[in-house]
Amino acid sequence: MTGTVFDIGYQRYGGGREGRKRSRMAVYKDGFRTALGFGRGGRAKVLPWLFIAILIVIATVMALIAGAADRLGGPGAAERMNLPSHSDYYGIASVILFVFAAVVGPELLCPDRRNGVINLYLVRPLTGGDYIASRWAAFLTVMTAAACLPQIILFLGLSMGDPDPLLYLQNHWLDIPRFLLAGLAVAAYATGLALLAASFTTRRAYASVFLVGLFVISAPFTVGMAEELPGNAGAWMSMFNLSNIPVHVNDIIFGEVSEATEDAPARALGPTVLTAWYLLWTLGPMAILWARYRKLTP
Amino acid sequence: MGSIYSMTVRQLSGRWRLGIMTALAALPVLIAFMMLRSSSAPSVWDFEDAILGAMFAGSIVPLVVLAVGGAAFGNEVEDRTLANLTLSPVPRWKIALPKLLATITVAGPFAAASAFLTAHVAFLGDTQASLAVTVAAVAGVAMYAAMFVWLGLMTTQAVPVGLLYIVLWEGFFSGFVMGARLLSIRYYAIGIMQALDPRRFSTTDLLGPVAAPIAAVVVIGGFLLLANRRLRTMDVP
Amino acid sequence: MTAAARRTHGSTTVSSGTTLAVEPVIRVDGVSRWFGSVVAVSDITFDVMPGITGLLGPNGAGKTTLLRMMTGLAAVSTGTVTMFGEPVRDNPPLYRRIGVMSEHETVYGFMKGREFVRAMGKLRNVEHLDDAVDRAIDLVDLADAQHRPMDTYSRGMRQRMRLAATLVHDPDILILDEPLNGADPRQRVHFRQLLGRLAADGRTIVLSSHILEEVEQVADTVLLIVNGKLAASGGFRAIRAALNQRPYHVRILCDAPRELAAAIVGLASVDAVHIDPDGSVVVLSRNVLDLQVELPRLAQARGVRLRRVEPLDDSLESVFGYLVEN
Repeated sequence: MTGTVFDIGYQRYGGGREGRKRSRMAVYKDGFRTALGFGRGGRAKVLPWLFIAILIVIATVMALIAGAADRLGGPGAAERMNLPSHSDYYGIASVILFVFAAVVGPELLCPDRRNGVINLYLVRPLTGGDYIASRWAAFLTVMTAAACLPQIILFLGLSMGDPDPLLYLQNHWLDIPRFLLAGLAVAAYATGLALLAASFTTRRAYASVFLVGLFVISAPFTVGMAEELPGNAGAWMSMFNLSNIPVHVNDIIFGEVSEATEDAPARALGPTVLTAWYLLWTLGPMAILWARYRKLTP
Repeated sequence: MGSIYSMTVRQLSGRWRLGIMTALAALPVLIAFMMLRSSSAPSVWDFEDAILGAMFAGSIVPLVVLAVGGAAFGNEVEDRTLANLTLSPVPRWKIALPKLLATITVAGPFAAASAFLTAHVAFLGDTQASLAVTVAAVAGVAMYAAMFVWLGLMTTQAVPVGLLYIVLWEGFFSGFVMGARLLSIRYYAIGIMQALDPRRFSTTDLLGPVAAPIAAVVVIGGFLLLANRRLRTMDVP
Repeated sequence: MTAAARRTHGSTTVSSGTTLAVEPVIRVDGVSRWFGSVVAVSDITFDVMPGITGLLGPNGAGKTTLLRMMTGLAAVSTGTVTMFGEPVRDNPPLYRRIGVMSEHETVYGFMKGREFVRAMGKLRNVEHLDDAVDRAIDLVDLADAQHRPMDTYSRGMRQRMRLAATLVHDPDILILDEPLNGADPRQRVHFRQLLGRLAADGRTIVLSSHILEEVEQVADTVLLIVNGKLAASGGFRAIRAALNQRPYHVRILCDAPRELAAAIVGLASVDAVHIDPDGSVVVLSRNVLDLQVELPRLAQARGVRLRRVEPLDDSLESVFGYLVEN
C-alpha cells in the first residue's frame, strides 16, 4: 500500500531569529513578573504586594510621626528628638525585606527546577549562566524597588510635612542618593542570599524557612555570644549577625549610626572591614550561584 | 493510623533536615555554656527573655516546626498524593492526628533536648527549672505543630503565611502589644514554663498557671478539629 | 459474605417475575460543578451498571472533574452522586468497596513498591494483608521489582504498581482515570485482559481514556462528555445508530464500479453514491440493514463481482468525531 503526504500549507518560520540578548531579556522580564505576581491572577499577587504594603506603611508611619513632632514642637523638632529617619529605615524594615526575599526569591528558581522547566530554557540560545544572571537581575530590580519606594515615600512625607518644603528639599537633597544607594545595598545582599538558598532545594517552602531561620536565629544568637566574648572575638561574632551586615553599610553611607546597630560590637572593626565583609556576603553568593548554574545543560 | 504515622515520620525526616535541626538545637546550648563561662553572667530575666523567649521559643522552635509541620500535609497536597490517604475508609481525624503526632515526633526531641541541655547548663543543674523549660518546649512544639499542620491543608502558601505569623505576630506584635500575648503560642508556652517553676521564673506575664495549659489544649484541639473539618470539605487534589 | 458473593448478590433485586431488575451501582443525578464563573460539568445524569464503562471526551471536557466528584474527592456544586445507594461525599466507610486510581502519577518515591501496596492495603483494613499484596502485585506482573524503591521505576511500572495498590483491597467498584498513561503495547494488552477478568467477576469499572481503540475493545458502555455535558451514552454502535441524521459511509470495491453505482443509486435505502478516484464506490446510507440485504442481490443481478464491502465510520473514533465536531 502506498502512502502520500499532503501539502496542508505548513510553512517554516522565515522571519528573523533573535539571539541570546533577547532570550536573556525574556528570562529577566519573566522573573520580574513572577516575583510580583503579574499575569498569574489575584492569589499570586497577595504575598509580594502585602510585603510591599507593610514596607510602605512603616515609612508612612515614620513620616506621620515626624510631621506630628514638627507640628507640636516646632520645625526641626523631629531631628532634635532623634526620631527615626532615612538612615534608620533599613534597620527597622530589614526583617520585612528579608522575609520578602525569603518568600518571593525561591519562586524564581525552585519551580523551574522542580517541574523540569529549566530544561526548556536551556535548549534555547541561553546558557545556565545567562539564566541565573537574568533571574538575579530581575529579582534585584524587584528588591531595589521594594527597598527604595518606601524611602521615597518617606522623603515625600517628610518634605511635605515640613512647614517649608522647598527649604527641606534644599537641606536634605543629599538624602536621596544616600537612601537609594543604601536601598540597593540591602537589596543586593538579600537577593544574593535568597537565590543562593533557593538554588539548593526544589521545594520553595524549605528555602524560605531556611532563609528566615538564618536571619532570625543568627541575630539573637550572635548578640548573645558577642556579649560573652571579649574584645575582637565579640566584634567578629557580631559580624555574623546576618540581619545587620547591610545595615552597617547603610550607616557608612549615611555617616551616622542607626538605632539597630548602635550596640553592635562589630562597629568597632571600622568601615573598611564592614564594607569588605558586606561585599563578601553579597558577591560571594553571586559567585556561587554563577558556578552552580553555568554548568547546567539540558 | 499507625501506617500514616510511620509513613509521615519517614517522609519528614531526611538526612539534611535532621542535620540542620541538630545544628539549630545546639545553638542555645552553646550560648548557655558561653554565658556560664563568662564572668558577667546575665540575670535570669535576661536569659529567659533573650535566649529562651526570643531565640528559642520565638524563632528556633516555630521555624523548625513550620518546616516539618507545613510539609506534613503540604507535601502531600503539592505532590497530589493526599488522595491515597483520604480514599481510605477511616474517619478523617485518623488522618489528621497521625500527621500531627508524626510532626511532633520529628521536631519534638530536638526541641526537648535543646531545651533541657540549655536550661541544665544555664541554671547549673536545677532539675525543676530544666524540666519546666523542657515541658514548655514540647508544649510549644505541639501547639505550633497543630497550627502548621492545619495550615498545610488550607493553603499552598502555608510557609509564607506561617512565616508572617512567626515574624510579625509572635516576633513583633506580641513583644509590644500586651493584648497580643493572649493570642500567642509563644506566650502560652512561656506561661506553662512559668507555671511549672514559679520560684525561678517570674509570673509577670498575662497567663496564670491554670490558664496557660488550658490555652495549650484549646490550641491543639482546636486546630485538630479545623484540620478534620478541612479534610472533610476540601477538594482533594 | 465474600467479596465475590457480595458482587453478584448486592446489586441485583429479584422481582416477582422471572426477570432480574438490576439496581444501578453508581448513580449520578443532575451533577454540575463550577469554579467561579467557569462551568466544568453541566447537569450530567447517568447510571453505571456492573461491567466496564468508558468515559470519553476531549481534553478539558470535564472527565477528571466528573470522576473526582464520583469518588467524593471533589464536592459537587449541585446534584448527587451515590454508590450502592449511599452518598459518596463525606462517607469514608464506603471507600472499603471502591478503588480509585487518579491521573496524577506521583507516588511516595522513597517507598518500595511492595511497601506502598501494603500501606494502602493496611489503610483499607485488608485481612490476610500479605496474601492480598502478593495477589495484587502478581496481577500487575511486578513481582520481581517489588522490593525496589519506586523512584527507580519507569513510568509504566509506577502506573502498574499504583494499579496494584488500587486492587489490593479487592474493591467492587474501580474508578480509573487515564490508567494507560505511559503503558507500552504489551502492558496495554495485559491490562485489557485484566480488566476483562475483573469485570467478569461482577465488578463495576469506570475508566476514562483518550485511547479510543482501547475503550472500544474493552467497554460495554460508553459515556461521551463534551464541554462538560453528557453528549451520548450507551454502546457505541447504538450511539452511532442514534446519530441518524448522519448517513453511514460504506465503501465497495468491485470490478464494474460505474455499473454498480448506477444500479445502487436506485435503492431506497441509499442517500447518495459517489465514485472515488481510485475506483471504489462510496455509498451514503441511513439504512444499512436494508442495504446489506439488497446489495448482494443487485450485484448478482447485474453480474458485478463484489470484492470488498466495508463501513468507513462504524468506529468509536468516528462517533467521537461527529459528536465533538458538533
